[in-house]
Amino acid sequence: MNDKILKPGRRALLGGAALLAPALAARPARANGEVIVRTPGGVYDDIMRRHVYDPFTRETGIAVRPVAATTAKLFAMFRANNVELDLIDTGNGQLITLERMGALAPIAYDSWRWSKPEDVAPELRLRTQVANFVYCTVLAYSKEHFPNAHPDSWADFWNAERFPGPRMLADMAAGSPNLEFALLADGVPKDQIYPIDVDRALRSLTRIRPSIRRFWDTGALSAQMLADKEVVAGSIWNGRLQTLIDRNAPLAYTWNEHMIQVQALGIFKDARNVAGAQRLIDFMMQPHVQAGYAKELIYGPTNQKAFEGLTPEEIARMPGGERSRRSGFYQNVTWWEDNRDRVNRAWSRWVLR
Amino acid sequence: MPLGRLPAWLLLAPALLLLLGMFLVPIGWFLVASLQELGSLAEILEEADAVLLSGAVGGALINTLWISAVVTALVLVIGYPVSYAMSRASGLAFTLLLLCIVLPYFTSTIVRTYAWMVLLGRNGLINQLLLGLGLVSEPVQLLYNRTGVIIGMTYVLLPYMVLTLYAAMKAVDMRLLQAAESMGATPLQVFARVFMPLTLHGVVAGVLITFILALGFFVTPALMGGPGDMMIAMLIEREVELTQNWPGAALMTIVLLVVTLILYGLYSRFTTDEKGAMP
Repeated sequence: MNDKILKPGRRALLGGAALLAPALAARPARANGEVIVRTPGGVYDDIMRRHVYDPFTRETGIAVRPVAATTAKLFAMFRANNVELDLIDTGNGQLITLERMGALAPIAYDSWRWSKPEDVAPELRLRTQVANFVYCTVLAYSKEHFPNAHPDSWADFWNAERFPGPRMLADMAAGSPNLEFALLADGVPKDQIYPIDVDRALRSLTRIRPSIRRFWDTGALSAQMLADKEVVAGSIWNGRLQTLIDRNAPLAYTWNEHMIQVQALGIFKDARNVAGAQRLIDFMMQPHVQAGYAKELIYGPTNQKAFEGLTPEEIARMPGGERSRRSGFYQNVTWWEDNRDRVNRAWSRWVLR
Repeated sequence: MPLGRLPAWLLLAPALLLLLGMFLVPIGWFLVASLQELGSLAEILEEADAVLLSGAVGGALINTLWISAVVTALVLVIGYPVSYAMSRASGLAFTLLLLCIVLPYFTSTIVRTYAWMVLLGRNGLINQLLLGLGLVSEPVQLLYNRTGVIIGMTYVLLPYMVLTLYAAMKAVDMRLLQAAESMGATPLQVFARVFMPLTLHGVVAGVLITFILALGFFVTPALMGGPGDMMIAMLIEREVELTQNWPGAALMTIVLLVVTLILYGLYSRFTTDEKGAMP
């Protein structure tokens, strides 16, 4: 798919569309030296503004403006040669795709002055992207519905006789469906999940499908379904779930077999403010800055030094670190980026059966 | 020159230009450029074969047609009496009816869909009422399944049907009904043999507008449907957003466009009467 993208057809098409666009919606004026960041939006922006953007502006005088953009919009911008933002804060999978398209600038580790590259694990510090936190998908359940024995593994989750009740899993539209958990439930060991046998995973999902009330496509929906008691168990991002638990929702989760995913930063190589974006990354990766936002997001920092600024109670709520190496596994996003087309087709076909 | 003397094409020109510039040209451009990426005709046909015969498109298309048909039938059954009441009401009653129909029409579809989700959930208002009255012992599943999609879409599409039917009913000459009555026809006969045939073109128009709009529905089935309730618009969105497979999206768009155009062809056949006038 990726070699097709660079053929002239679509670039010409989008170039034309991009020429028309400014006439329809004038771009907002850009403050001098401002860095524009793509973010997931919502509460995330407030947290990052407090812990990263505002302190960065105080330090450097460079303003930061978060904006929303879907993956498709990022791709369209690049193909149209009309990159409207500088820094991309998104899932590492999308950044891999953008890198393969040749859209990203290398991260200037050499010129970091606030953070030390060696404090970040090598697998989280790549040529064109650096991870700013890790989050994970856990198995959550209702304490009301399961007061005694509760599902503690994906095999338990798949066991609808022992643990009856409506449940949920992630949809393809959430980024990737929970094929990993389907394989774990089917007896595949954690270290042999990849390359995913898609047919086997879908066969496994077929067994639990009668109990699946809905495949969630957004983090908001997954939290809402658990809070509204539409489901009594499901896969969910740990931060979304912890927020519900902190508001006294009768929910709990297991760290067993959690899947770690990575949020990362990348810079458009044609961005107007590459230099400012490089400095913002350097600033964001500092241990105390990471500790600040990680604590509030309830996601794990990627700078190992950041753990020093956190209490054991705070660390216990976060993915990453020692516990994740023991009971969790990293999602293999390279496999997903290589197989996304194929899985999407197979998923649609399976869902529509 | 009085406005009435202007040739029809001149009066239509602004609308046509807008349609051409903002809809036909971009969509044509998208389709042609996306398909060109695939290369030769043989390659396009190969991709079309892979995409369209994958099972997903067929399944989504059957879902789409079935849901659209059920929704259209429900909208007609609910909308016909409402439109009749509106066409006979006057003063405050008419204003109230009109407000009830038109106000939701001005509200965003997303907001209305979320409102329904609050009502229909497992622990929503409707289930609490049913459980409280002892009518059911277990919550009824009204959301995240086909029933939810149909309820939501019926609600969103009702105004289109009502306003179309209202226009047709308002145009009926009431003296014809009085004449039928004075010649001894029962109320049922007046309805079945005079009123109904006189409003039939409105029914056809309303049915087709509703059906065609339902075919392209996205928000309501995406939010209220269950695992298997994927409609064709959702499938197209996934090709664009998830896999950035624009040629695949283009091919699916063509399928939806062809189905819609066939229906539109039927529509203009039925609604153009002998005088060649649209209702």
